[in-house]
This record gives sequence, C-alpha cells and structure tokens, in this order.
Amino acid sequence: MFPFARHRHRRARIATVLATAALAVVGCSSTPPQASAPPAGGGEAANSKIFMAPKFTGLAYFEVAKEGGEKAAQDLGIDFQYIGSDKPDATAQIATLTNAIPQRPAALVVSAIDGDAVAPALRQARQQGIKVVTYDADAAVDSRDLFVNQLSYELAASTMLDAALMNSPQGGKAAFISASPTAPNHTAHVRIMKQLIDTDPKYSSLSYVDTVQYAGDDAQKSQEIALNLMQANPDLKLIISSSAVSAPAAEQAIVNAGKSGQVFATGFALPSSVRDFIKNGNSAAFALWDPAELGYVATTAASQLAAGKITAAEGQEIDAGAAGKYTVGKDGEVQYNKPLMFTKDNIDSFSY
Amino acid sequence: MSASMTRATETTRRLRQASGATALRLRFLGVVLFLVLLGVVFTALSPRFLTIDNGRSILFSAAILAIAAAGQTLVVLTGNLDLSVGSIMGLSAYVIYDLAGDVPALGPWVVLLAVLVGAFLGLVNGLLVAVLGIPSIVATLGTLAIYRGFVSVYAEAREVTVGQLPSWIRSLATAVWGSVPAAVWLSVLVVILVGVVLQFTPWGRRVYAYGSNPEAARYFGLDSRTIVTGAYVGAGVIAALAGLLLGAQVGNINSLLANGIELQVLAAVVVGGVSIWGGSGSVFGAAIGAIVLATINNGLVLLSINEYYRLLFQGLAIVLAVGVDAIVQNRVRTATRRRRILEVGA
Amino acid sequence: MRQFVRRNSGELLLVGLIVLAAVWSSSLSPYFLDPVNLLSSATSFVIFALMAFGLYPVVVQGEIDISLPSTLAVGSVLLGKASVAGVPLALALPLVLAVCAGLGALNGYLVAAVGLPSLAVTLGTLGAYRGVAYIIAGDAGVVGITPEYTALGSTWIGIVPVSIVLVLAVAAGFALLMSATSFGRYSFAIGNNAAASRMGAVPVVRTRVVAYSLAGAMSGLAGLVWVAQYQSARGDNADGAILFVLTAVVLGGVSIKGGSGRVAGVLLSLILLATLQTGMQLANVPGTSQTLVIGCLLVVSLGVPRAIALFRGRRRTLAPVRTDPPHGPDDPTPAVLEKQRG
Repeated sequence: MFPFARHRHRRARIATVLATAALAVVGCSSTPPQASAPPAGGGEAANSKIFMAPKFTGLAYFEVAKEGGEKAAQDLGIDFQYIGSDKPDATAQIATLTNAIPQRPAALVVSAIDGDAVAPALRQARQQGIKVVTYDADAAVDSRDLFVNQLSYELAASTMLDAALMNSPQGGKAAFISASPTAPNHTAHVRIMKQLIDTDPKYSSLSYVDTVQYAGDDAQKSQEIALNLMQANPDLKLIISSSAVSAPAAEQAIVNAGKSGQVFATGFALPSSVRDFIKNGNSAAFALWDPAELGYVATTAASQLAAGKITAAEGQEIDAGAAGKYTVGKDGEVQYNKPLMFTKDNIDSFSY
Repeated sequence: MSASMTRATETTRRLRQASGATALRLRFLGVVLFLVLLGVVFTALSPRFLTIDNGRSILFSAAILAIAAAGQTLVVLTGNLDLSVGSIMGLSAYVIYDLAGDVPALGPWVVLLAVLVGAFLGLVNGLLVAVLGIPSIVATLGTLAIYRGFVSVYAEAREVTVGQLPSWIRSLATAVWGSVPAAVWLSVLVVILVGVVLQFTPWGRRVYAYGSNPEAARYFGLDSRTIVTGAYVGAGVIAALAGLLLGAQVGNINSLLANGIELQVLAAVVVGGVSIWGGSGSVFGAAIGAIVLATINNGLVLLSINEYYRLLFQGLAIVLAVGVDAIVQNRVRTATRRRRILEVGA
Repeated sequence: MRQFVRRNSGELLLVGLIVLAAVWSSSLSPYFLDPVNLLSSATSFVIFALMAFGLYPVVVQGEIDISLPSTLAVGSVLLGKASVAGVPLALALPLVLAVCAGLGALNGYLVAAVGLPSLAVTLGTLGAYRGVAYIIAGDAGVVGITPEYTALGSTWIGIVPVSIVLVLAVAAGFALLMSATSFGRYSFAIGNNAAASRMGAVPVVRTRVVAYSLAGAMSGLAGLVWVAQYQSARGDNADGAILFVLTAVVLGGVSIKGGSGRVAGVLLSLILLATLQTGMQLANVPGTSQTLVIGCLLVVSLGVPRAIALFRGRRRTLAPVRTDPPHGPDDPTPAVLEKQRG
C-alpha cells in the first residue's frame, strides 16, 4: 500500500498529515448531522409503525410479549415490527436500535440489556421525534418516555417470597441466583427480598445466603450453581431467581440431584417451563405475570404517546382496553402490577 | 556391523517408545498434581469440600464437559481446533428433542439420530479443514455461526419443554447407579473409549503421528484427510451425544443451549495437558482438566467468593497449567535428547 | 494494469463484494443509501475495527490473541472510574493505554519469552482480565461519566463522526507501521518462518512483545470509544466480541498461519461486514438470519477459492501442511537459546 522507501517524500507526508489535522479540528462540531429523510412528527403518517426490541429474540418469554404487542398493533390498526439480535449482546442491541432510527417508527418499545449503554441511542431516537417506551427492563430514566414495569420492585420481591413460602411453609434458608450484577431489576429484587426477610414479620421464618450467584440466563450454568449451592449450604431450603431461565433450571438441578422435596426452586418462570414440576409436585409454586398483556400495554402506551393522546407526565392515564387502565407514576414508570402465581390448581389454564 | 546396528536401532526404538510413554505419563501427572493442589487448598479453607457428596457433585458437574473435552481432544491432537462444539451440542439437543416431542415413537432411536447428526456436522467441519484446507480456527468459527444460526431459525424462539423429552432419557439424567450418577458413568465410558481408540487402534496411533509432525506423516504415506476428517467426525458424534445428555439434564431447552461452551471445553483440554500444537496429550488429562474447572467453580461457591474472582482464578489456572505443561515438556525433551545422543554415540 | 490486479486481487475481491453488498442492502431497505445514516451505523463497528487492527500484527506473526475484548473491558472500566473521580482525560488516557499495553505485554512475554502457546495463554488471560474488569467495575458498573470523556462519541467533522476518522487514522498508521518500519519487516519474517528469523538475528521476542502490547493498547483505545459512545462502563463490555474481530481479520485476507496480510484487507472486510449487517438491520432481517449470513460469508469466502483450486488439480498447494509452526513444540525455547548463545 505504501511502497516508497522510508525517507523519500517525508516532508510531503508530514505536511499532508498536518494539513488534514488542521482541517479536521476546524471542521469539528458536536451537533449531529441530520439525515435527509423526511422528519417524523405527530400526525397520521407517524402512527403507522411501532418497533418492539426485546433483549434478544431467542427467548420464549419475549416471544410471548411480542404476541401481545402484535395484538395491540392489530387493535390499533398500526404496523408492528419485531427487531433484534438473537444473542444477548449489548452492542448488537445498540446497533439494532441505531438502525431502527432512520426507519422513522412512531415509537420504540424496548427491553434493555444494558440500560446505560442503550441510553445514547434512545436519546437520539427521542431527539428525532420517536417515542421510547421501555418494558421488562428499564433504560436510563432520561432516555425514555415511559417504563412499563411488569411488577414494581417491591411487589416482585414480595411475590417471589410468597411463592417461596408456598413451597416451604416453615421457611428456611434461601439463596439467590440472578442473571448478572448489571441487571438493575434483578439487583433491586434481591436487595428488597433481603430487606423484607430482615424486617417483615411475614417472612421472618426465612433466612438467606448473602452472596448472590450469577448465571447469566444460562441454563447449564444455573444448574451447576444450584448444585454447588446445595453443597455449600446443607441446610438450604430455597433457591430463588428472577431469571425465567435460571428458576426452572435450578429446579431441574434439584430433581436431578434427588433432593426434590428437601430443596425448592422458585421465582419467575414461564408456566410452560415449570408445568411438569408443578404437576409432579416437585415445586408448589412459581410466579410471573402475563407477558403478552405486558407487551399489549407497552405497545398501546407507545402508540397513544406517539399519537399525542397522552403525555408522559405523572398522573396520565393509559387506557389499554381489555388489558385495563394504568396510571403513569413517578419518573414515567407505569406499574402493570398483575402478578400471577402458578400452582397445581391453575397451571393448566395457561397456554404459554 | 549389521548386528550391532540392529541392536542399536532396536534399543533406540525401545527408548523412544519408553520416553514417549514417559512423556505422556508426565503430562498427565502435571494436571493430576494441579488437581490435588486445588483439593488441598479448598479442603483447608472449607470443611464441606472433602465430602463424598460434594465430590459426587463435582463429578456430576464435570461429566458433560469431560465428554465434550474428550471429543475435542481428538481434534486438538491432530493440531486443529473445533470451535463449533457448542453449536453442535445445542443443535443436536434442540432438534432431536423437538422431533422426539412430536414423534414419541422415536424412543431409543434418539441416540442413533444424535450420532447421525453429529457425524454429519463433524463431517462438514472435516471437509472444510482437511479437504479444502481452510485453517481450522476459521472454518469452525464459520460453522459455529452457521450451526447456531440454523438452530435459531429452526427454533423460532420456542422452547423445548421438559415434558417433551422422552421419559427414559429424563430418568437417565437423574439416575444413580451404585451411588454414582449415571452421567458420570457415561462420561467415564466415553473417556475410556476415546482413550482406547487413541492408544490401541491403528487410526489412533496415526492421529498421534500426524499431530506430532504432519510433514513427516505425509512422507510416511499417512493420508491427512482421513485422519483429520475422522477426528472431526468423532468429535461431532461425541458433541451431539453430550448435547443430548446436557439437554436431558437441563430440561427446558432454548436455542442458546451450550452457547459459548467452546471456550470452557478448550480450557479443559488445555489445562489437561493436551498440546495445542497437536501430537501429544491424553484424553484422560482432558477429563481431569474438566474436573479441575468444575472443582474451581465448586470451591468458589463453597467459599462464598464473588463470581468475578471465579473468572480470574479460572484464567490464572489455565495459564498456570499451560506453564507447568511447558516446563514438563522441556524436561522430557532435553532428557530424551541426551539419552538418544548417548545411545547413537555407543 | 494486470500486475495491479494480480497483486491486489484479494482487496479487489473485497471491493467487489462490498459493492454487491451495498446493492443488496439498498434493495432491502430504502434507508440504506443515506450517508448520514450509514456513518451513524458505522460507529457501531469502530470498537471492533480498533481491536481488529490491533490483532492484525499479532496474526501476521503467526500468533493469536483472544483476550482483546477483556482488555477493552479493563480499559473502559478504568476510564470510567477516572472520569467519575474527576481525573482529566489528558492524564487518564495515556495511563490507561499504558495499563492496557502492559496487559498485552504480559501476554507477549508469556508467548515469546516463556514459549507458551498463544491460544492457550490468551484463553487464560481472556478470563483473568475479564475478572479484573468486573472487580474494578463493581456490581453496577460505572455511570455518570463526564462529557469530557464522552466527547469522542458526540463530535462530528462535517457529517463524519470523529470515531470513524479515528479508525481511518489508525488504519493508516498500521499500514505505515507494517510496510515502512523494521517492526513490520520483522513481523512478516517471523510469521513466515520463526526459526529462520531467530537465526537471522531478528529480535523475535522483542517484536512479539511489541505486537501484543500494541494490541493491548488498541483495545484500551477501543475502551475509550466504548465509554464515549455508550457513556457507561461495565465488566461485561464487549464480552464475546472476539469472534467478530477474528472474522474481520480473516476475511481481510490475513493468513491465520502468519506471514501475510494487509491492513487494507482488514479495513475492507470491516466495511463489508458493516455494509451487510447494517443493510440487514435496516431491513429488520431477523437476527438469526444475520448470524447465518456472516457465518456463510466466512466459510464461502475462504472455501470457494480453495475449492476452485482443488478442482483445477493444484492439490499439492492445498494440503493442510503445518510448515514450521511459528514456534512449535520442538523449537528450543528462547530461554534455552539464550543459554546456548552463552
């Protein structure tokens, strides 16, 4: 590429480099250039499409939420696109969102892998007039208009502890498995669960292992950790996880180890993942919410926001039709707050 | 003149065999020592480490990794890599169990299906590397993406739930034969099988010969294509079977099963003293390498040590193991060189 | 003209593929051909580009380094912490780059001086450095990074983001380094035949260590870009990125066995991958298919030329001969050689 010898043309080269650098410095600016595509604004054309971007497309939980979003789009008469990488990779999600912006959707419905890393991309989207609603996993507060939280962190924590008590009414020692220390919802859940166990008399029969283990939503790793937890704590009664991959995987590990009935895994999981455990009596209860309805509410909120029917101010009401009415709370958080407890009595009534 | 020459060549041949065997034994010893060292440290730090129950737990966690490492050893011995092992595991588990869920009559044929799937995927790898001559790290990087992409497209984000799995395989995953989990017995079986093939079959010996010096092997008339392709097919079959077992253990299978496991498998192989340049190392070492990794995970949970340190320790363990191995190799080399020089001189 | 084509056949092929990819992408999506969008999408690849350029000399020397994303993580976390602590960027950046170069130097020392296999060593440091990054970052990672540090991600020269300019400058720098310095010459020599190079008085150990340190420093620089673009830093930054970086390097015509390859090739392959990915994403092609396409591209681009040569009967040149691995198990380790030299 540069076939000349070392010393020839050296002065010319240095001059070129300096000139280019000078031009560059002069031409610097910190305002982003505008693309030439027609800008999005309010109005009919802008309502035409909404993009839903889960953490990644390979997880059944997000697939169910997608179905809810699709239904909402159908009811509202708008276009719906499901975008994202099939791997849980933050850079891939950011690239997806960056490439969503030029397509001028009316709104983005996002579940963030890394809530801080996606924030610049989301802010850029908002700058271009695209509404941003997060669901399931929030992004930085100033980068999105609304956050549809499936369960407030307090409700999530108490629901999981209730499920724990259903499994082991006498209480006992519990250990926590989270997805990753950088998942804000999981860390909040664990923090509040520990708080509740310490202070709330209802959960006084429970105790906990302080060190939290992380399985990165990987089934095999969750199993290895569950096994090792049982070894490390012979008096362990409960393994609790907010991750819909880790909770059933841990229960399977308990069954594999032959400790079913002595130790119980619980937490959030899709009913289809835990149907056998519940029916066989390995576990008495798992919890979740309806991901389809969550997707429905999030998409409806995004559409109404884009159409200007509501704003993101506190106190605004979102009418999601059959899915109910919701009020916008502090910092744009909309609490869906409809936990579901799966037990022997109702496990068969769920199709997802 | 000819008599003494025959005696000389005879002795040299025996010496070479002996030093070769010693070399193998020494490599093996290195990783065993490492494991013992780990055991001592953890026992000192945690009373619950050295119990039968905990040992069983470690072996159970290591079983599947050991099986995958055994398969990977075949490939690494030829001087190549198979980065697609995780994708093969995931693909075989998902596709086969999905089919089994729809066609319950499949029953035990599930295993045969796994063998076929693994053999096919391994064959593709082998063709790319041995016939087309694509460097193995690149070829298997590509097939890693292709196989995983195929599972993702096939799965469409659905999960294979534990109820779809054939019941006999589910009980296999949890069975305990003579107080040792079935999975551990299976891993021992696979490791011994691979070890026997490598040590006592002509093909196995050819693998070692080719791996230690591909140039010389070619002059010797060894066909690199059958050796390398055979290794990849073997690795593919073993990976597919490991995938079945993993799927049975995990219960709920999504398209990302075993994603990223190739680095763990490589780590087990490397820690186990199998030379990444090919030609030396034993599958038993690789199995011990898997146990070492499982032991580190177990010990750190027992000691309630932060997850972050697990990564650090595992990484350091790999570097240390490789370092120890290099020292051992060096000693063996200088020792055999000295002996050979002496012999030829006489 | 014919000589030009023959000498640059690899790169011309890449250019051809880029054109094809661009045509395909613009047919997939009407938003593709907007230069502002293109440049904005390209910024996602800056991190991978920097690591790919850092990896390039290492691969030319016949080695490999898979720990680069972990070094990026360490760099980004250190920069994040420095930012929050109020350290000026002018002070923090050289220090962090030095630290990352040091991490690379450690890899280089283990490979070159101790003689350990590079895949195994960097497999170990991949985990070890990642653990270090997590430990420094703590649970939640680092947020609240000051605008001084994020300036790189939000500055444009005209319509071109500064980070893209950085990539081009780095590419030019590496091209110059490998073609016009002794380091470059030594690198190719070592990659072609390490044993002969050593006997030809090429400073093998030093050249290797420099290459690895440079790779580490590039990863540190990529860490700065990460912090600038994403305004946060966590221990899991860029986890798993090595596969894409390796793909870019290999696709660029750099032989994994060492001894050949050009920066232009790496740059073009990055552009090709970016074009394909961006086009597919703008058209909302499902992520699963994107993975398949990239995998197929890798296999096809390397397999087809070889298959053609095979059918033409030039089988001898295609046998997977591992001639003299850069430093194989039978080479005396540098330590032994030093002793022999007395």
